[in-house]
Amino acid sequence: MRSTTLHTVAAATAAVFVLASCSSEGGSGGSEASGELSGEGTGDSCSIEGEVPLGAVLSLTGAAASYGESQQRGLELAAKELAEKGGITYDLTIEDDQTDPKQGITLFDQFVNDGASLIIGPTLSNAAVQSDPIAQEAGVPVLGISNTAAGITDIGDYIFRNSLTEQAVIPQTIAKATEEFGLEKVVVMYSNDDAFTESGFEAFEAALEDEGVEIADTLTFSKADTDFRALLTEAQGLEPDALVVSGLIEAAIPLVTQARELGIDVPIIGGNGFNNPRLMADAGEAAEGVVVGAAWNSASDNPENQAFLEAYQAEYDAAPDQFAAQAYTGLMLIDEAIRSECAADRESLKTALGELEDVPTVLGEFSIDENRDAVHPAVVQVVQDGKFAVLE
Amino acid sequence: MLAEYATTLTFIALGAIFAYSFYAVLIAGQLSLGQAGFASLAAFSAAALAPSAADIGDVPALLTAIVIGMGVGAAASIVLGLPTMHLRGVFLAIATLGFAEAVRVVLLNSEWTGGAQGLGVPRVLTVGMAWTALAVVAYWFWRMGGSRYGRALEAIREDELAARAMGIDVGRHRLAAFITSGAVAGLYGVLFAYYVRLIAPSDFDFAAAVDGLVTAVLGGSTMFAGPILGSGFQTMIPELQRAAGIEAGWIRPFLAGLLLLVVILFLPGGLTSLIPRPVRMPAAEDDAGTGLAGRRHPAAGDTVVALAGLGKEYGGVHAVRGVDLEVRAGEVVGLIGPNGAGKTTLVNMISGLVPPSQGTATVLGTTVGRTPVHRIAAAGVSRTFQHSKLFDRLSALDNVLVGAHLVSRPTFLRRLLWLPSARRDERAAHQQAARCLRRVGLGDVAATRASALSYGDQRRLEIARALASDPSLLILDEPAAGMNHVEATRLSELITSLAADGLTILFIEHNVGMVLRTCTRVVVLNFGEVIASGSPEQIAADPLVIEAYLGAADEDAAADPGAGSIAEGTAVDPTAVGPDAASPDAVLNVRPGAAGTLEPPDTTSRDAT
Repeated sequence: MRSTTLHTVAAATAAVFVLASCSSEGGSGGSEASGELSGEGTGDSCSIEGEVPLGAVLSLTGAAASYGESQQRGLELAAKELAEKGGITYDLTIEDDQTDPKQGITLFDQFVNDGASLIIGPTLSNAAVQSDPIAQEAGVPVLGISNTAAGITDIGDYIFRNSLTEQAVIPQTIAKATEEFGLEKVVVMYSNDDAFTESGFEAFEAALEDEGVEIADTLTFSKADTDFRALLTEAQGLEPDALVVSGLIEAAIPLVTQARELGIDVPIIGGNGFNNPRLMADAGEAAEGVVVGAAWNSASDNPENQAFLEAYQAEYDAAPDQFAAQAYTGLMLIDEAIRSECAADRESLKTALGELEDVPTVLGEFSIDENRDAVHPAVVQVVQDGKFAVLE
Repeated sequence: MLAEYATTLTFIALGAIFAYSFYAVLIAGQLSLGQAGFASLAAFSAAALAPSAADIGDVPALLTAIVIGMGVGAAASIVLGLPTMHLRGVFLAIATLGFAEAVRVVLLNSEWTGGAQGLGVPRVLTVGMAWTALAVVAYWFWRMGGSRYGRALEAIREDELAARAMGIDVGRHRLAAFITSGAVAGLYGVLFAYYVRLIAPSDFDFAAAVDGLVTAVLGGSTMFAGPILGSGFQTMIPELQRAAGIEAGWIRPFLAGLLLLVVILFLPGGLTSLIPRPVRMPAAEDDAGTGLAGRRHPAAGDTVVALAGLGKEYGGVHAVRGVDLEVRAGEVVGLIGPNGAGKTTLVNMISGLVPPSQGTATVLGTTVGRTPVHRIAAAGVSRTFQHSKLFDRLSALDNVLVGAHLVSRPTFLRRLLWLPSARRDERAAHQQAARCLRRVGLGDVAATRASALSYGDQRRLEIARALASDPSLLILDEPAAGMNHVEATRLSELITSLAADGLTILFIEHNVGMVLRTCTRVVVLNFGEVIASGSPEQIAADPLVIEAYLGAADEDAAADPGAGSIAEGTAVDPTAVGPDAASPDAVLNVRPGAAGTLEPPDTTSRDAT
């Protein structure tokens, strides 16, 4: 028995070394291939001989798994469409950071060492602050597809994102809602143990102040909470004109349902976290009238968006959320940038990404500004008849 | 080559340091989950308070942060440790978990920590620095292993009561282990912060605590290399899965969990159980002259134990009442009486385990009552237990070394500095332990784990352990239980030879023949009261004793001829018991009422060998 165990362990140890040596060979091969990463032609006619290595660091398991999975679907759908388009072959490696900073950092390090031309991700803004500097120091461009916190692109000139910050989306939402509903006094609720919803709250707070709307009270909850009745009753007592909520979709569904059950019929205004078809699917009737400020207008009738909605539905038999749309757009933008110079090495890609302008995408006309942040129209949506419609 | 694996290697080192903070308490048998709380307090305080690396340079900044972090971690562990040190097992785990959660919530809601979005910290730590820190921590625990302090912690883990009885101040040792854990967790927090660039309270949540615990247990919590192996294993699993091309997603955590299960099933002692641990038994010729601090024993005839009106009640039941007894140096006192007569309660009071309800007891100049057990042990009382309380996972030699706790000097700090005096002291303790082992005839099983010894050997090992503290008073609670009569005879010779060295011995025994042969005085207890006290001859002839005890025992012996130790005892020593007492008729004269209350003495264990 004991000796069997010993053998097993010995075999496992041997396997470690064999596998480790394999992976390191693969890595050096990738970086040497950079010579083949430019080709003939421009735009759609561009053809590059070598495979373009792209890495994506997503949170496929752990606390942020639900966003990571959407992003994975978006990326895979885009990769499939790009493969059909031809000319450039992408070697897209999607890796899981397990919502763990240690894994995120290790993966960035590996992609840098393995010669990736660009790294997509990571899913969470906190992880971006931890990992992006590794790529910046190594001169590898990064495209964030869901980082919304302020300051991410300040990490360095290799760091880009196609996700609008809360500061870009939320003021617009509040301005529109104030105009529409004549808001004077609101109650703000947010989950204070999540970086995404906390920075969303800060943006809401600033926007409400700018609009001169009084915040009657600020109530906090935990992202793990499912019962909001006590908080909602407290909010109801203050007789606000609206509830402003910065929460993830997991909190949004019970919160909206319980608010309507308690007879709160004032508008509920949510941030990016609410921009998910699950809101209507799971909250049903209760979701009617919920206002959602978002980076992606799911109801947009631009041809890219219509094609995306259709393809996504066909591929996964489900409606996409904002994370999927942004991920899909991300890979499409990378393709656009590569084709503009017909070169996929790190430096060319960095330059080309910075020069993206007025690209028609799922998110609308898309540009990268001088701070390497995304510029495209944000949208204020309202749930009507079980669908997002533009609030007008 | 190294640069390519720098990140992984750094995380192995960080994971191992965090696992050491669990190892530090697991080795003393404490299950704490508060380390994540210590680590986050340390990380945030250090990041907020330490001067910037840009001002004073990377290494000074990191060192300042480490000092702050370890200080905060240690201070937090004292704050948490003082009120929780009396908690054991899962209760301690829950209390410490509550603390960690409270810390997380406070940090989450504080302005200075940046809340959920966290606090940015410059990256200063390099792989070299991480491994240097790990080396220091590992060195600390390595040197602790063979020291008196390290053995005391292991003894507490294995059997806290026995550790107390060997003179170990359990409270102080447990707190010391807890503070070490806090300081090491603080170190981890700071190093982590200065590597990952951004710390958020969620980096130190329940999952992080469980991760650290799993790493420590997986590696093995009884050997200093455990946390490093555990962390290497845990950190390499995702790497291997990636290298093996397993698709990212739920399958990976599933496989990792499965692998963990397999390792724990087949290696319950952790990965370090694959590493053999040689036990070096000092050679016999080393025996002459030890450097141990010997005790001053009371002169022959001085009072060792003085009991006056001693009683113990358990909810109205008088286990012991009104016992007046004096034991003088050099005496061998046998305490006999039927089961339930209060013998064990009486010796538990004498050795300080149980406070008396009435009366006073003075043992070797110490008043028993509120005095903690280890103080009474320090006064020179050493004992064995009715049911063996050995340190099961320690070798026989280590068991006896713990017994020598009181007469050896603390060696840990000197071992850290490799001072030759520490080596001398350790050698002296080893020689003392080896001598005690040989004296009870266990010289050749020194390396065997206590739990692997035969029952009889375990009883003898307990005596060896008790002898190692060079006691003035040795209390043996049924030492011959479970021995066959050859072993019992040898034990009786051992007791006689110890008595010849001037050791005062008090022992409880059901083997009356052995008691009569060995003791200078016999005290008989029944229903918690002394019913007779005197020389073996007087006791053997006392009609009260015969009625209350011998008769019943003899009846039992007659019913089961194979276990007739009383008969043997009387046969070997015909002067001890008069013909009347030995006659079978006496048995039939026992009052039925008395016989009904007497249980047969330990027949089961007597057959077991």
